[in-house]
Amino acid sequence: MIQLFLIAARNLKRSWFRTTFTVAGCAVALLAFVMLRTVLSAWNVGAEHAAQDRLGTRHKVTFIMPLPKRYIDDVRQVPGVKQATFANWFGAKIPTQPDEFFANFAVESKTYFDVYDEMIVSPEDKARWLADKKGAIVGHVLAKKMGWKIGDKVVLEGTIYPGDWEFNIDGIYKASKKSMDDSQLVFHWDYLNDALTGEQKDMIGWVSSRVTDTSRSGEISREIDRIFDERDTQTVTMSERAMNVSFMAGFSALLTALEVVSVIILGIMLLVLGNTIAMGVRERTKEYAVLRAIGFEPWHVRFFVIAEAATLGIVSGVVGVGIAYPFVNNMVGRAIEENMGGMFPYFRVEPNTALLAVAIAIALAAFASLIPSIQAGRVSVTDALRRVG
Amino acid sequence: MSTESTNERTSKPNAEAKAMQSDVPEQYRKNATPERGKAIIELSGVTKTFFRGKEPLTVLDGLSLSIEEGGFEALMGPSGSGKSTLLNLIAGLDRPTSGKAIIAGNDIGAMSDGELAKFRARHIGFIFQSYNLMPVLTARENVELPLLLTKLSSTERRKRAETALRVTGLENRMDHYPRQLSGGQEQRVAIARAIVHDPTILVCDEPTGDLDRKSADDILELLTKLNVDFKKTILMVTHDPAAADRATITRHLNKGRLE
Repeated sequence: MIQLFLIAARNLKRSWFRTTFTVAGCAVALLAFVMLRTVLSAWNVGAEHAAQDRLGTRHKVTFIMPLPKRYIDDVRQVPGVKQATFANWFGAKIPTQPDEFFANFAVESKTYFDVYDEMIVSPEDKARWLADKKGAIVGHVLAKKMGWKIGDKVVLEGTIYPGDWEFNIDGIYKASKKSMDDSQLVFHWDYLNDALTGEQKDMIGWVSSRVTDTSRSGEISREIDRIFDERDTQTVTMSERAMNVSFMAGFSALLTALEVVSVIILGIMLLVLGNTIAMGVRERTKEYAVLRAIGFEPWHVRFFVIAEAATLGIVSGVVGVGIAYPFVNNMVGRAIEENMGGMFPYFRVEPNTALLAVAIAIALAAFASLIPSIQAGRVSVTDALRRVG
Repeated sequence: MSTESTNERTSKPNAEAKAMQSDVPEQYRKNATPERGKAIIELSGVTKTFFRGKEPLTVLDGLSLSIEEGGFEALMGPSGSGKSTLLNLIAGLDRPTSGKAIIAGNDIGAMSDGELAKFRARHIGFIFQSYNLMPVLTARENVELPLLLTKLSSTERRKRAETALRVTGLENRMDHYPRQLSGGQEQRVAIARAIVHDPTILVCDEPTGDLDRKSADDILELLTKLNVDFKKTILMVTHDPAAADRATITRHLNKGRLE
């Protein structure tokens, strides 16, 4: 059988032109497939890798409405809450590069990096930052992209909080989890609050807390919300994973569309493979008849066709994934992480996606060869060899 | 009633052929001592009818034939006379519509498709007009093909393929691809493929049809050698009188009957 497989595989050498174009076509289709699957998996990274023990508390109506700062003290009193911190969405931009988007938050300095311990900051950077009211800590991807280094002064233009805001880059963090965006800028909430007056003063965007027992997350969430039920501003508390999932649910139509497109791509690939295999079988009808004549049975011939197709699938899969890996991980992925880190903090081809792509290529090729292989197995030896006589 | 013309056999065994024969493994020669006089092909009242739509077309019409083991017979006749159909029946590629076809002791009409395939693998060696070699395989690999159906080790397969190629005089072309060979050499590879599994009968369908005279003569010489030195029973369909001259018996077929 192995010998037959190897002979069948060598049939791909018959027409280099056809084989090359088929492999190229399939490789491009697989590249598109891998990219789409990577979008889908990157989209889910936030939910999949969310901290199990972290809860988010926000305004019951919408996450863009603020909470009173005093709520943090109440949350900290809830049994089962280990640590709690808060943050505000700042939403500022670089005046000279208004299209350059990156997430920036005003955070509670003393607790933020304890609750978000996947943001790794050196003790020196953290100490420098704590001592500097205008200090900011930025993700290494953002720092690299903007050319910022420790000691630089940066001015951001506020959108939610108008005006020019000056920051000193005191430290650089690096995420230890795929779900954490490496392109954020965080600074002291006090710096923001001290500059605010009226209704904006002493307000926070949300509370993040860590619990001692993840199995009690639901119970603790309900307890937090119960505290604020009788207040003017009610809250909704949920696990970080649930929060991310609910955020992503708003894009479900888009995700479904991506799924559909990836299936269409596979359909196109199936047609390309099917056409090539059918052409090969038609051209070799006489050869199959000769094989039958010298004693090979119909299943041998079917095996021959399927083995050749499977080889085509293996080659296409390996080439496609071989192109997709560096293309996505070194080019597209880096660009997306730098420019859309908030949405896609980790845009890389997952090994499972690569394996899936190769497996699909082989399976599709084998499937595409089913009908041609049945036809080849049924070939009438005498008809195929017929000569006048 | 059949009319047989008997030619005086020009057997030209030479020293080289003898030497090659001694190189052939024992298993290879197990059929090399045919029982003279014993019929290896026996057809009795064989009819073959095809249908064109609903229209029956009788290609072989009550044909009876007996060919002795170790014989070298040529089958001639005009186009459409049923030569290839008869060859296909004898080779186990087709079954008679009626009548008996006993080939090497096997009743072709009573065998299943799978049994026929095994019968062909064991007893029949095919030589086609257009060689029909696989272009992606070397001469040796092409010759090894029928042995893939056996349980022989790859070393043994290779050894036997090389022996068959030596018998056909292609020991220096074993690693050549068909495109690197002349028509005559390709046909020699096809002959090596036909004999590598030591079949009982060699079935040749216009083996010299695509060759020039010189190459055709070489191939006929080789077939003669296989018949004389290796005692292979050969049945050859041909339009070429010079090819038919090499056979011990020439039969003429016309409208599905032997003349």
